[in-house]
Amino acid sequence: MTEREQLAAAGRAAGLRLTAQDVAYLLPAWKRYLGLVDELRAAMAPEDGDEGD
Amino acid sequence: MRAIEALTKAPMAEIARSLRRRTVSPLELVDAYSRRIEAAGGLHAFITLPGERARREARRAERRLARGEPGALLGVPIAVKDLFATRGVRTTAGSRILKDWVPSRDAAVIARLRGAGAIIFGKTNLHEFAYGVSNANPWWGVARNPHDPRRSPGGSSGGSAIAVVAGLCAGALGSDTGGSIRVPASLCGCVGLKPTFGLIPLEGTFPLGWSLDHAGPLARTVGDAGLLLDVMTGMDTGRRARRTATRGLRVGVLRGPIIQKVQPRIAQQVDAAAAALRRRGLRVREISIPEMEWTVAMQLVTLRAEASAVHRRWIRTQPRAYGADVRTRLQLGALVAGADYVLAQRMRGRLRAAMGRVFQEVDVVLLPATPITAPLVGERTVRWRSGEEPVDGALVRLTAPFNLTGLPALSVPFGRAAGLPVGVQVVGQWMDEARVLAVGRLIEELAEA
Repeated sequence: MTEREQLAAAGRAAGLRLTAQDVAYLLPAWKRYLGLVDELRAAMAPEDGDEGD
Repeated sequence: MRAIEALTKAPMAEIARSLRRRTVSPLELVDAYSRRIEAAGGLHAFITLPGERARREARRAERRLARGEPGALLGVPIAVKDLFATRGVRTTAGSRILKDWVPSRDAAVIARLRGAGAIIFGKTNLHEFAYGVSNANPWWGVARNPHDPRRSPGGSSGGSAIAVVAGLCAGALGSDTGGSIRVPASLCGCVGLKPTFGLIPLEGTFPLGWSLDHAGPLARTVGDAGLLLDVMTGMDTGRRARRTATRGLRVGVLRGPIIQKVQPRIAQQVDAAAAALRRRGLRVREISIPEMEWTVAMQLVTLRAEASAVHRRWIRTQPRAYGADVRTRLQLGALVAGADYVLAQRMRGRLRAAMGRVFQEVDVVLLPATPITAPLVGERTVRWRSGEEPVDGALVRLTAPFNLTGLPALSVPFGRAAGLPVGVQVVGQWMDEARVLAVGRLIEELAEA
């Protein structure tokens, strides 16, 4: 599955009606979003590590 | 006629005094502003013009003034961002979806303005549903900066900032979810105040992000912003600010990586403001808040999720009724995982705690309101030595931390960079608007000196 197909499938699962153009606009925004979430996760990692299982 | 024209750009407090002394009538003032709006039509400041309704309100105000009735804003024309519900007047939120919505009740803050005698003077343009900072509205016109119409006024309260700066009203009401009052105030050259979270009621205001939304004034002077704040809160903060001593106050000038990506001429103006405050007896030092580094990530995750919740139904049933940029943001929000939202809120807690520690050491924090001056309409990226940054992200990078924490923050014009206005931002402790306004007033005075 390509990135676009994955995103289109996620959109359908969320109940969105995405056109091919929507997916084309959404893909760079989605990648940026994932990058920012990774930054947050890395910033919180020391605290998460302290919590243990 | 010439005297009225001059009064249209005067501070609101002076306008209120002239009305009270009856050297000008509300109707003369309303007509003068209406002529100016007509001449400034290309700026797209308004979605709904004041029209005959404002003239009726002016006649009523005239009778009340003649009877000597009280009212801090009696007969004063105040423009309102078109996401505050106004009884009997179309309220679009800058959208096509709500193009025909005529509320049956006023928003709480509108009721307070009316209670003080203000004339609700038209509904100003905004980014569609307030969800963006360019104010390039696909349905109601691309708003333009009064200093240079090739440039953006910023947003989302861009129409309100234009109206204040171009002398199309006496003062204005805006809302701020990531910087939507302070960004256009900074780019257009007026005063913009985002008070403490929750201080101004939001009932009847179309929401964008519940945990980030604030209402507040845009004005030509800090004193006017204080006056509007008092009317909108029913408190006396603006009046207290006038009596608040500034000598000896502790000022923290923000440093650190988040400040490195700022246009040099803007950084110079902030340093000049800090140096001038020091000369006036304030104790200035440098501070850093490392937790601010994750501002854009925290803001983006939080706002995408919250705005998507507001628009949950429409983005699924009528996605084509949105402009392309807002549609993409809302669709992205529908994909935000609950775990990501929680992660952002945990980081937000860290930022709030860090701010709490900072305010044990200083009374106010000083930083640029925006890292860039007004971009050209349609400009999408800013180039820094370290790489590119999206314009919309850059514009809120230094304002959004105070939406995430709910701290009061004021943008005051201070000097220019390449001929364009620069906004210096003053941030205070929660509920300490009086000191924020007092320092802001001093900066305003120093800018004029």
